[in-house]
Amino acid sequence: MFKRKLQALQYVASDSFNINDEKQVRSLILWLENQKIRYYKIQDRENLRKHDSPEWTSHYIKYLQDVECPFINGKLVEQLEWLLGYAVKLEYSDNVEKYKSITSQNIQKDKVVPKVVSSSTLDSLNFESDDFKNGVKSLAQILNITPHPNHFITLQAISKVICERLNPEALENPSFIIPEGKPFPFLETDAGFVSNDQVLTKAGKILKLLFIQDLRSLQTQINECIVSVQKVTANPKTDTKLGKVGF
Amino acid sequence: MVVRSYNEELQYLEKVNSYCWKIKKGFQPNMRVEGIFYVNDYLEKLMLEELRNSCRPGAVGGFLPGVKQIANVAALPGIVGHSVGLPDIHSGYGFAIGNMAAFDVNDPQSVVSPGGVGFDINCGVRLLRTNLFKKDVLPIKEQLAQGLFDHIPVGVGSKGIIPMTARDLEEALEMGMDWSLREGYIWAEDKEHCEEYGRMLNADPTKVSLRAKKRGLPQLGTLGAGNHYAEIQVVEEIYDKWAASKMGIEEKNQICIMIHSGSRGFGHQVATDALVEMEKAMKRDKIETNDRQLACARIKSEEGQNYLKAMAAAANFAWVNRSSMTFLCRQAFAKQFRMTPDDLDMHVIYDVSHNIAKIEEHMVGNKQKTLLVHRKGSTRAFPPHHPLIPVDYQLTGQPVLIGGTMGTCSYVLTGTEQGMKETFGSTCHGAGRVLSRAKSRRNLDYTEVLKNLEDTGISIRVASPKLVMEEAPESYKNVTDVVNTCHAAGISKKTFKLVPIAVIKG
Repeated sequence: MFKRKLQALQYVASDSFNINDEKQVRSLILWLENQKIRYYKIQDRENLRKHDSPEWTSHYIKYLQDVECPFINGKLVEQLEWLLGYAVKLEYSDNVEKYKSITSQNIQKDKVVPKVVSSSTLDSLNFESDDFKNGVKSLAQILNITPHPNHFITLQAISKVICERLNPEALENPSFIIPEGKPFPFLETDAGFVSNDQVLTKAGKILKLLFIQDLRSLQTQINECIVSVQKVTANPKTDTKLGKVGF
Repeated sequence: MVVRSYNEELQYLEKVNSYCWKIKKGFQPNMRVEGIFYVNDYLEKLMLEELRNSCRPGAVGGFLPGVKQIANVAALPGIVGHSVGLPDIHSGYGFAIGNMAAFDVNDPQSVVSPGGVGFDINCGVRLLRTNLFKKDVLPIKEQLAQGLFDHIPVGVGSKGIIPMTARDLEEALEMGMDWSLREGYIWAEDKEHCEEYGRMLNADPTKVSLRAKKRGLPQLGTLGAGNHYAEIQVVEEIYDKWAASKMGIEEKNQICIMIHSGSRGFGHQVATDALVEMEKAMKRDKIETNDRQLACARIKSEEGQNYLKAMAAAANFAWVNRSSMTFLCRQAFAKQFRMTPDDLDMHVIYDVSHNIAKIEEHMVGNKQKTLLVHRKGSTRAFPPHHPLIPVDYQLTGQPVLIGGTMGTCSYVLTGTEQGMKETFGSTCHGAGRVLSRAKSRRNLDYTEVLKNLEDTGISIRVASPKLVMEEAPESYKNVTDVVNTCHAAGISKKTFKLVPIAVIKG
């Protein structure tokens, strides 16, 4: 218990410390005060030194009060945890310069990390090179996709088209995946808002259609979800004997 | 109440344009907003004649004329916008049938009124399409009509063929169409194409009396009586080709099935229970109305909340009811054509509620407000791009299903932006009565009514032929007049027209 803090404070018995052993606890507390906290003057530490004295506990409580430990009424674990933390804090503030450079980043650096040699050619590509940009552009042209000034966005669009329209399933049975429909004269419909700016209206209408498409796929997912639950719960029954025609 | 002559009454009415009239404040006492109503020349005559008759000395009894009822509703606390009368308006209990009124939820004075919803809570229309055509169905239409009649019990006191326990009912009341889905009676897409997705989330079955539940339990999956029906219909005319194709209607002569039904005895009992409770609440909160039938309670009061929760449960009941009948229709068709309902493409085009109160967001003036919209004999008709309509109809606007009278014709419309502004996204619901039930029984002969239907080539199955004259086309306004008025006034738009070839009813 408390191994790391004890190690940090260079406590000799850091490995074998047992909180349930009263003797060990008392000697740790004396050690902390003697070596690290040093709140009392040397001569005032006498009371803590008397391990076997029946008054030790009351002196310990007094000590906690003096160092302003917030866990006076708490459990021993909490008190020890706090005392150790307090000791670490004092140790650190005494030697800020020495410890400052030991950050997690620097420690990571020193560790030996096995290097993975990438076998994928993608990782060695330069995504900002003109060669790459031109490649994206010509791919977009082949697929009939309007290029975006940011070639990454164009690439995203290309990926979407390939995943949705050019996957093996879609190629095998195009009518199954690609929705058939009549062209919809969306520019002639009511946009649902009023604007004198034609470009803005057109953009708004396109966004609206995209939004509706999103909603539709959400609703389809909800329906699929309901249907899968129905497989478990559904058991429709009729009993014609119950039926009665009125007058 | 002031008694005025017909000509004096007319001073308060003003014709705004060829399809719209305004009812000015003062027509009835304490009007908080003005009333409006939509009529064409023919419906206008009917409307004014009704008013003239009530002005005759010695005219007593019966309901108040529609215009008066619109004005009385305009006097209810918390009402905003207008009290709106739709072209199919006719007198009803408290509110006229065909009256829409919206109340500001955040106004502590605002009320909810069971009379503004009606007794048949969430009465509505559902339309199924098929990939069949008239030529496929004509040779076996008698068998089909009989098949439907065998599957869907009809009439007063009919009982359904879907076994239900009391616990099933509790769950169905809470879950609405989600219950039908769970039990496997309907398809996931059905829920998508239904107002509110077939479930009012605020439903609370504990607010419903035991009596209502007892009445409702055996009635699930039954059509009921009155003006309810299930019809096999043929697309006769397409006005908006593109919107129709969005609904899966590609050509003339395509076959559809229309189900018009509600919450049966269950909803009726919920409404009756609420009226009793609200009378007490009115006394306590000192709410005054022009008409005793306009019993209401503040939205935020316990009675108001209880009613809204029970009404929501009744709405769920109606959706489960229509869903059960959808299941039975699909079964009947599948049996007859020896094909699965999937292969027959029997999708729900849409399901509308025309007797309901719902909390909605609307623009009042230039401010967005949360309103409790009462639609009694009035259909929600939301415009394109509204977030509460299904994704498939985002560009067309919400489909509005208008069931005609037995044996005439029905229409499918779509919601418009103008309707959203003028009528809080509401339009007509059907033909609307001109003759009271009693008058129809006196004036018409049932054998003749049935014969007329047969002569037009309609197969008909009825549980109670002697009541059929109540629902004869002669007892109603012409649904075409009603729909054309809504179309011309711009509060909804015609998409296609359907005519029946087979009818089953109570």
